[in-house]
Amino acid sequence: MAEQNKQTVTFIIERQDGPDSKPYTQEFEIPYRPALNVVASLMEIQKNPVTKDGKKVAPVVWECNCLEKVCGACMMVINGRARQACCALIDELEQPIHLAPARTFPVIRDLLIDRSVMFESLKRIQGWVEIDGTWEVKDAPIQNPYTAQTAYEISHCMTCGCCLEACPNVGPQSDFIGPAPTVQAYLFNLHPLGKFDKEKRLNTLMEKGGITSCGNSQNCVQACPKNIKLTTYLAQVNRDVNKQALKNIFNK
Amino acid sequence: MINTTFYLRRLHSICGLLALGGMLMEHIFTNSMALGGSAVFNAALETMELIPKPIFLGIEVGLIAVPFLFHGIYGIYIALQAKNNTGSYGYARNWQFLLQRCTAWYLLVFLIWHVGYLRIFTKGISGTPISYELVQSYISNPIIFVLYIIAMFAAIFHFCNGITTFCMTWGIAKGPRIQCVIDKLCMLMALALCLVTVAYMGSYLL
Repeated sequence: MAEQNKQTVTFIIERQDGPDSKPYTQEFEIPYRPALNVVASLMEIQKNPVTKDGKKVAPVVWECNCLEKVCGACMMVINGRARQACCALIDELEQPIHLAPARTFPVIRDLLIDRSVMFESLKRIQGWVEIDGTWEVKDAPIQNPYTAQTAYEISHCMTCGCCLEACPNVGPQSDFIGPAPTVQAYLFNLHPLGKFDKEKRLNTLMEKGGITSCGNSQNCVQACPKNIKLTTYLAQVNRDVNKQALKNIFNK
Repeated sequence: MINTTFYLRRLHSICGLLALGGMLMEHIFTNSMALGGSAVFNAALETMELIPKPIFLGIEVGLIAVPFLFHGIYGIYIALQAKNNTGSYGYARNWQFLLQRCTAWYLLVFLIWHVGYLRIFTKGISGTPISYELVQSYISNPIIFVLYIIAMFAAIFHFCNGITTFCMTWGIAKGPRIQCVIDKLCMLMALALCLVTVAYMGSYLL
């Protein structure tokens, strides 16, 4: 591992000049320094965008923001797995380090991807609480203390897309909205005001691309950088949609 | 709200577990009679023949053929929605997810051959009754024997793993502990059924 060659770090980066261009790889070598992570390494490459064989190239494009595993922006495929680049420490990675964009999403350029599909999915499942004056909110109802822990856990979701990238059923070949938006529906169903729209959310999840597209490969729960128990909540949502289906059949 | 997708998926799930799972169990049960020799196996087949023809045909079409076709055709659609990634994410459940689809493809081809030859051609068109002797001469061909053993292992795995995913899909097993326990129990059951299969299929060759 990193022990053999402490002086330099080698990267093999999968690049792509535009949304429709062909991907290609380039090798970069940067000086090693302690506590280096993938984002800091990409910054080094940006400063001096020269490949290992001395060719000057356009700097590698990627996205990052908070640099503390909170915003989700720097999600990319590092040595085959989707994860946050900011908390991927070079010392813990096998070299050469392979970087690739998360191809479950449309690639804009190099490692930069377009994750707006997740925002569309959140809109679809109504990932918000309706406070438009339809009902009285001045004495706000309290969160159920028994479910507050769960809600807190799910609210850590930063829509990074790791679970979608790891899920074999999410991608251009399928219309599955993926684990993150599905479990967000459960979060808003737990909310004392959000639960008024529970039926609406569950019925949306029964549509094409909803929770029924889940194939139980359970990669999502392994990939989640925030350790959200996605499979547990997916099973809960499955339970909820089944109950909702019975209501739909027998209440009319 | 109609939610066709939801009902199709759940129907696919229940068809697989009850109709197809039931059919698999019936096959293992009846065929294991071969362990008792020719007389026991043929007697078991004769007992089944006691069911009046129209009822038997009704069961075959309504409870076997139709659920099979639905599960198979809708299953193709489901399998095509996956891009398998066990290379990057080599977790046990992801392998099971991949195997569920691989066994499905094998069984799809196998069953067309199996049902087409033994049920439709041999029993249906030529009118030859299925018997211990017929099965014995049929599977004594080593290629057919191996293809049948693989098919039985595939069907058993597909069924047992299907029980695990059924428990998840229907929201029966929610937490990781119960899901793990059910998964292990189902795989143990698969192992046991595979051993039974090897025993009765092997008995033909002795």
